[in-house]
Amino acid sequence: MAAPFRPCDHCAKPAVVHNTVIVNGQMNEVHLCEDHAGAAGIQMPGQAPIHQLLGQLAQVAVTRPRGPACPECGHTFHDFKTSGLLGCPACYDAFASTVGPVIERSHGGASEHIGNVPARADDANQRAALLQQLLRELETAVSAEQYERAAQLRDRIKDLRPTTAARIDGTP
Amino acid sequence: MTDLTAMMAGDRDVVMSCRVRLARNVSGFPFVGRATHPQRREVLETVRAAAGPDEASVGLVGGGRVGATTAESLAWVDLAALPKRDRQLLWERHLISRQFAEGDSPRAVAVTPDERFSLMVNEEDHVRIQVLRTGNLLREAFDAAVRVDATLGSRLDFAFHPKWGYLTACPTNVGCGIRIGVMVHLRALRVTNEIEKVKRAAKELHLAVRGFHGEGSEATGDWFQISNQRTLGVTETGLLEEFAGRIVPAVVAYEREARRVLLERQRTLLEDRVFRGISLLRSARLLGLDEAMKQLSSVRLGVCLGLIPDVALDTLNRLTIQLQSAHLRAGESGIESDDDERAARARVARTILGEQ
Repeated sequence: MAAPFRPCDHCAKPAVVHNTVIVNGQMNEVHLCEDHAGAAGIQMPGQAPIHQLLGQLAQVAVTRPRGPACPECGHTFHDFKTSGLLGCPACYDAFASTVGPVIERSHGGASEHIGNVPARADDANQRAALLQQLLRELETAVSAEQYERAAQLRDRIKDLRPTTAARIDGTP
Repeated sequence: MTDLTAMMAGDRDVVMSCRVRLARNVSGFPFVGRATHPQRREVLETVRAAAGPDEASVGLVGGGRVGATTAESLAWVDLAALPKRDRQLLWERHLISRQFAEGDSPRAVAVTPDERFSLMVNEEDHVRIQVLRTGNLLREAFDAAVRVDATLGSRLDFAFHPKWGYLTACPTNVGCGIRIGVMVHLRALRVTNEIEKVKRAAKELHLAVRGFHGEGSEATGDWFQISNQRTLGVTETGLLEEFAGRIVPAVVAYEREARRVLLERQRTLLEDRVFRGISLLRSARLLGLDEAMKQLSSVRLGVCLGLIPDVALDTLNRLTIQLQSAHLRAGESGIESDDDERAARARVARTILGEQ
């Protein structure tokens, strides 16, 4: 099993040195690429004696993959870094840990969609997203005293929630 | 004759055009960059079938009802089969992106006869819905784009994620997948050196400021495209309100104030540039594109300030497109060298503005 892809703390290159540093009882992880590790005075495989080199090369081989591939389309994180594009919708989950922070940074720290949902959003997650959105819109409409719009939104919210007939206790 | 009041009403003195674009992908297919040519062709046929034959079927008029009497047909243009010059023509008209104009993969664009709507299939994303309007008609453009989205979304499964929203090939578009943009003419702010302030303010508001042809074109002339960069953690209507209610009015007021100050303090200098501009466009025999755009900018300012009453703003808007390279080459045969093109550009300018 290949180690997960980890970029260098100082640049976008893959980290090949992974250290845990404890300062004043505070534990910090340090991940460095070859260049930055060299700059920090850490000896790299090429500079090490041969008996150490072989062992380290084996380690480097697992810490320098092109990143895991998307199970749906085969796109790798390296492909994403090269093109700036993902390969398919499933890539968003496949690279959640690495692409997620990139997305949040490029959208001013936002980490969740709060806009419209597709008309054919009929699975539970998407219904829930729609419900949340309508509730937010309702709040806005009420505070703006747009009562006609608020009434329309309440109707849509009612349609989305489980029907009275489906309730176990039968209360309206 | 120009009507200053009418121009001010639609902000047409400053806002040349506005645009709302939505990026969508069809579930079950890889994104365009990863898709094979057969998959791209399948996406193309799927979207084409969902859009239907005309403005009504795609949701632009008649509430999406098929067969509404006023609906014009959609013209589907197969980019892969189109000569390079015609692809550039579409790009010069802002109907397609530069990226879409290049390459050889299966892709097409549907355009309405009034050229206010285009549907690109297999650009960076499977579907790019784009609505254009002259002047500041953002709300109208927004409503049209949302109607088309709802119509297509009722027939296609768009790739959607509960956390990330509409999934796009580039994560910078994820969420709403929406870009709201205005093309503004900020000549006076350039002359008074205040344009940098506008750019700085735009950056703080997470807005992109680009040149006449959008992404990839430098904002070096007097025309600027201002558009949102954030598409996640915002609502479509929230963005619209921010643009239509706050950003555009602020930019328009700022430019108008700069124009007023120019007129008040440097009237002779301003008039000199405006009248030199119109004279040059009406008499030049060789006209490069950069020079033409520069003079058009001066003339536009003059028209908006009532200094040139015999030129209509629409004429100038048309000219900014007609003087582009592919338009000249499409309009006249035998243009081969750069000088041929410059001569043709001067002829078109003289003809349209009335030779003096």
